[in-house]
Amino acid sequence: MRHPRWFVFVVISALRSVLFGQEEGASEVPAEETKKLEWSGNLDVKYTLFHMDESSAAYVLQFPMSRPSSPFLSQYRFEPYLNAEYRVRDLGFSLSTHATYFSDAEASVDIFEAYGSFNPSFGTTLQAGKRVYNWGKGYAFNPVGFVNPVKDPENPELAQAGLLSANVEYVKSFSSGALQNMSLLLVVIPSSGSTDNRFGELKHTDLALKTSFLLWDTDIDFMGFYSIQKPRRVGMDIARNMSENVEVHGELTYSANVTRFTIANNSLVATTTNGVSYLLGLRYLHESNTTLIAEYFHNEFGLSASEFDAYTRFLGSGTQGNDPILMQHVASVHQTYFRGSNLMKDFVYLKLTKPEPFDWLYFTPSVFIIYSVADRSFLLSAAMIYKPVTNVEFILWPTLVSGGENTEYGSKAFRQRVEVWMRVFF
Amino acid sequence: MMFLVLAVSASAQNANILLKDVDENLMPESYEANRRLINEEPDGSKKEFTFYTVKKGRDKIAMLYLLPASEKGRATLRLGENMWLYVPSAKKPIRITSLQSVVGGVFNNADIMQLEYSTEYEATYAEGTDKEYLLELKAKNKTVAYDKLKMWIAKDRKILRKVEAYSASGMLIKTLEFKGDKNFGGGISRPSVIETYSPLYKGYRSLMVYQSIKKRQFPDEVFTLNYMGRLGDLR
Repeated sequence: MRHPRWFVFVVISALRSVLFGQEEGASEVPAEETKKLEWSGNLDVKYTLFHMDESSAAYVLQFPMSRPSSPFLSQYRFEPYLNAEYRVRDLGFSLSTHATYFSDAEASVDIFEAYGSFNPSFGTTLQAGKRVYNWGKGYAFNPVGFVNPVKDPENPELAQAGLLSANVEYVKSFSSGALQNMSLLLVVIPSSGSTDNRFGELKHTDLALKTSFLLWDTDIDFMGFYSIQKPRRVGMDIARNMSENVEVHGELTYSANVTRFTIANNSLVATTTNGVSYLLGLRYLHESNTTLIAEYFHNEFGLSASEFDAYTRFLGSGTQGNDPILMQHVASVHQTYFRGSNLMKDFVYLKLTKPEPFDWLYFTPSVFIIYSVADRSFLLSAAMIYKPVTNVEFILWPTLVSGGENTEYGSKAFRQRVEVWMRVFF
Repeated sequence: MMFLVLAVSASAQNANILLKDVDENLMPESYEANRRLINEEPDGSKKEFTFYTVKKGRDKIAMLYLLPASEKGRATLRLGENMWLYVPSAKKPIRITSLQSVVGGVFNNADIMQLEYSTEYEATYAEGTDKEYLLELKAKNKTVAYDKLKMWIAKDRKILRKVEAYSASGMLIKTLEFKGDKNFGGGISRPSVIETYSPLYKGYRSLMVYQSIKKRQFPDEVFTLNYMGRLGDLR
């Protein structure tokens, strides 16, 4: 495996700090030696009502064998999250687990994170295992999230599964001048098991690098992703407070050798292309204590309106008639090449949050919209969070989609959805 | 005329020296502290949070939520007028505005993560009483949460007793009262309770209760985005 010189330089720079340990001049008092094991977690119980769109191809593909007799469906599940943190001096271990239970026959357990960490010096951290990375300044979308889990813009703060990897991070602060601190993070991502699910090819090891700066009161990150198999990417992000109630942020990325999948003449077509994606965002706090988050996201590799139209017509062709082989083929293409909730190029995200309106104590409503610019379809949702007692939350969360049958949101399997959550923390 | 200008200038200088003394009497420059924040609602119910706070120098402060469990692991970092919130479920620091409240109640982030007053404000003397100095403070820049402050200071020990915070238009936003003097050890003796109320939140009251304050030095790297998820390691 051959990597460019700049990667070699960065690896050597990072290792130097590890080998030489604590930086000169850092004479701070170390923490007392104590062993700490802390448990935490929460139980989410979720009841969801759906009004399905029986005419949509996505609905037909979701229930290929036996369709429900009514468009009104319900779903009941619970999701326990259990986390543990162990720390002694410079060593640590973190574990985050998640399970989903529908029934005894339909249940699963995931390890979101499990990694060990070691601090050879105060500013240096080595970690190995499975860990979540969350790169980027955007709230709903992160075009520079090269190693992030796939984000759900409908719930960006939801815990997600991490990446099997090892990393070294070095942080340095400066007590004066325009540059207040900087950091360097190198992530090595071993090849996932492609042979027998246990062995991967060495040459398919990926590398990701992020350098961060707090410069002139502005967060600036530069990042890169190097792979032989996957698209290579470089990018940057930026965030800054413009005043005491306005924050602005942005992300920009260039990707090379991205395989785009489209449908032409009712067949899957793969093309390799390069391009620039970006995000522009704003967080504004009004004097009424209402927070607005506004973001515009351009995904160069998303589908155009005509491409999305061809894609939904392809789905429709597979669901007409009763050809199980054709339906299986279409479902396979749908699930393999067009996964994700936002497939098109341009989106506007707006979210308004107003804690305790009309003196309704412990009640925080928010409303957000994800608008697909090219086809003018949208998803509108309102999350109402009520915390009457410490460590207990109730959430009422209605959602609706709107748009023509061949649009991003109009083609969803449901028309309306209402979720009711109860969350108990410990 | 010259004499008058010099006198005014000397008075402002003395006011800023007094403000620095007030800061020094309130907190050591670098410390760790455990605090409880109690928000009292108009119906008498209470919400309580416990924080671990670390501060270094004039412009670095970080805070970790210890209780309740639903907030545990959240952290806030302030470097000058830059402020971030770390959400443990998302594993991500988000840049926030200094006026935003992350705990509800009358306190906002700038109150909970207060830096030295002398870092953010220019002081001038106003007419006090026999027992208290009165300073009028003007924000040094527009990113400071409150444009103007009035500050009452006990003359005997130069201890802060009351602060009124005003908007640029002159509207009273909130009042902070400093009570319950306590010896925390290590030469730190100061009010242990800050009570806050506001005409904008009628019937609400917030109390900040200092349980412990201890001088401690930290590496600068503690006050970085990278360290926000690890603040608990310092305890």
